[in-house]
Amino acid sequence: MQEILTYIVFAIAVGFLVKKYFFKSKKKGNCDKDCNC
Amino acid sequence: MEKNKVVKVALVGNPNTGKTSLFNQLTGLNQQVGNYPGITVDKKQGKCKISENLSAEITDLPGTYSINPSTLDETIVLETLLNKNNSSFPDLVVVVAEVENLKRNLLLFSQIKDLQIPTILVINMKDQMQRKGISIDIIKLKEELKSEIILISARKKLGIEDLKGELVNYKNWDTSTIANISDRIDATFFKNLKKEFSGFSLYKSWLLITQKNYCSFLSEAQLNKINKFTSDEALINKYQHKETIYRYQKINEILKKTYIVDKTKATDFRSKLDRILTHKIFGYVIFAFVLLLIFQSIFAWATFPMELIDGFFAKLAVVTNNNLPEGTFSNLISEGVIPGIGGVLIFIPQITILFIFISILEETGYMSRVVFLMDKIMRQFGMGGKSIIPLISGTACAIPAIMASRNISSWRERLITILVIPFTTCSARLPVYTILISIIIPQKYVLGIFNLQGLTLMGLYFLGFTAAILSAVLLNFVLKVKHKSLFAIEMPNYKLPSVKNIFYTVVEKVKAFIYGAGTIILAISIVLWFLASNGLHNFKNAEQIVTEQTSNQTISKEEIHKKIASYKLENSYIGMMGKTIEPVIKPMGYDWKIGIALISSFAAREVFVGALATIYNVESDSTTTTTIKQRMDSEINPITGEKRFNFATGVSLLLFYAFAMQCMGTLAIVKRETKTWKWPILQLTGMSTLAYIISVLSYTFLH
Repeated sequence: MQEILTYIVFAIAVGFLVKKYFFKSKKKGNCDKDCNC
Repeated sequence: MEKNKVVKVALVGNPNTGKTSLFNQLTGLNQQVGNYPGITVDKKQGKCKISENLSAEITDLPGTYSINPSTLDETIVLETLLNKNNSSFPDLVVVVAEVENLKRNLLLFSQIKDLQIPTILVINMKDQMQRKGISIDIIKLKEELKSEIILISARKKLGIEDLKGELVNYKNWDTSTIANISDRIDATFFKNLKKEFSGFSLYKSWLLITQKNYCSFLSEAQLNKINKFTSDEALINKYQHKETIYRYQKINEILKKTYIVDKTKATDFRSKLDRILTHKIFGYVIFAFVLLLIFQSIFAWATFPMELIDGFFAKLAVVTNNNLPEGTFSNLISEGVIPGIGGVLIFIPQITILFIFISILEETGYMSRVVFLMDKIMRQFGMGGKSIIPLISGTACAIPAIMASRNISSWRERLITILVIPFTTCSARLPVYTILISIIIPQKYVLGIFNLQGLTLMGLYFLGFTAAILSAVLLNFVLKVKHKSLFAIEMPNYKLPSVKNIFYTVVEKVKAFIYGAGTIILAISIVLWFLASNGLHNFKNAEQIVTEQTSNQTISKEEIHKKIASYKLENSYIGMMGKTIEPVIKPMGYDWKIGIALISSFAAREVFVGALATIYNVESDSTTTTTIKQRMDSEINPITGEKRFNFATGVSLLLFYAFAMQCMGTLAIVKRETKTWKWPILQLTGMSTLAYIISVLSYTFLH
């Protein structure tokens, strides 16, 4: 059980980093790409 | 003249010009406050007797910077001045300007004057002129603006009677225009416009075209006429920009001949203080002293709360380890997650102190003086004045600083600024610097007052700034920048900082650190722990291998446990990665463990400390309490038997972080701003090579 939980947390951490650095985040609202927000 | 004639007067001006004070002086108690029809904006009207036979019904219109509306208040001004059927449509307009910001005020005046309604310019705060070293050639200014001008002081009731006297003659005022926009923008376009709207003044027609959405009074027929000219929206926008630029050019020309500010003659408090704070010698001395105070305070005030946080998480890790059931997930919590969170929260005191100081400098108005002061230095090194704000913003974070470089009009100058910004010491370097300095620099005092650790930190900030300037000189030479952009900054008045504003800024920055950098640090800590707690064959059989190796030696159980932990870490996935890069980083004085922290901190510099904390935690005995600093300080180089973080390695690391481009976020933003990978790759290669060479040289020299 402990091992499964460890793998889940590890997968979440890797997923978070991959999403953060390799995928563009979607902007909230009606924001133009050059609007500085 | 007819007896008891009433004229309608509109009082217009920028916000904070003393317009309402003048309104009060003119109308006294004869005031009425109502609402504009349909909206809840106050409409202030009052009556004033201006001569035996003439009275004025004065409307105090909302403050506005131009008659191109961007707010509801500004729309009211536009509608009042364009709609002849409006009950407040004026017979004459009084534009109130403030003597100190005449240039900005004249934009609005020039627009209203071009509507060809009788208009007078009232320059308020004449009592401040001498104190501020301002002199105006009123006769020449009247000629240039083709208008009557009255100098007043609404607060001291000066010039009010002169104004009333002038209002009587409003029918004789010159109503010709100031700016001939048609020739400067597009003569044919305006010729057609004039033909179509023959009953209106040219500028009124132009305003109807550009501001039609704000003119609710227009009839269907008028709108149809207007629509003929507005099909190409981009063209209209371009013409509007041209108009504003032309107006400012014209105003500049006029003020050059008529308006002089001699700061050396100014005697007010602000001018006196400005003279000291922007002095060519004292200005820099004061700035250096302010910086010294900031860096001293960071060390003096942040140490105690940092130790508390560090100690708390070290204890929490031990308590967690002792109370959770044995297993990998419990280990992940006590060795990965808790040190990871501790590695984030430990830096809150420093970040809080740094941003309290930065907010105070901004709030008081001192930061603008620093920008002005630094502009003089930057020009010596080939950078434009507009590069200053992004460079100074870089001390907080390079990402918004690079975005702030958008206001630099020259592309090459902007490119140089973008390329050198990452050298300025951002707040992400602060955690790395403070922990390394506290380990390698003794807590001594220089001259009895200056903390040596604080001085070292200040030195690193200067080093970053110097590196940015020298790189700019080099790039300036390589890229051959010919045109320098002009730099203009309006100095705000000095004021006491608002505690509320400072509080919000600090909370916002700390939140951004915790949710931005903090989540990355935590995620990387978890990944590092996982990679350090798993491995191939040798890792899995570590216990057996070490027991066999030590079977002939007489060593304690505790030492055998330590050897097993070290062997496991060395043969874990992360150990293998670290060992692979060790030959490259060895000349810098680093071992494979530091190498792992170096690789991990490529994502964000502040990850370095958290990564080391995780690595040392996996290796150490989890039942005893040790803080991040203690763990780093007690790490021994097995070959030399000396401390791993000795002076040579510490300096080498500090220099590496001062010059290296260890930030993926910055690279991404440089790519976005330059629209190519060429520049971020060049930046990464150049900065990393420089950092490597300097670290190797410093280690070789100091070792």
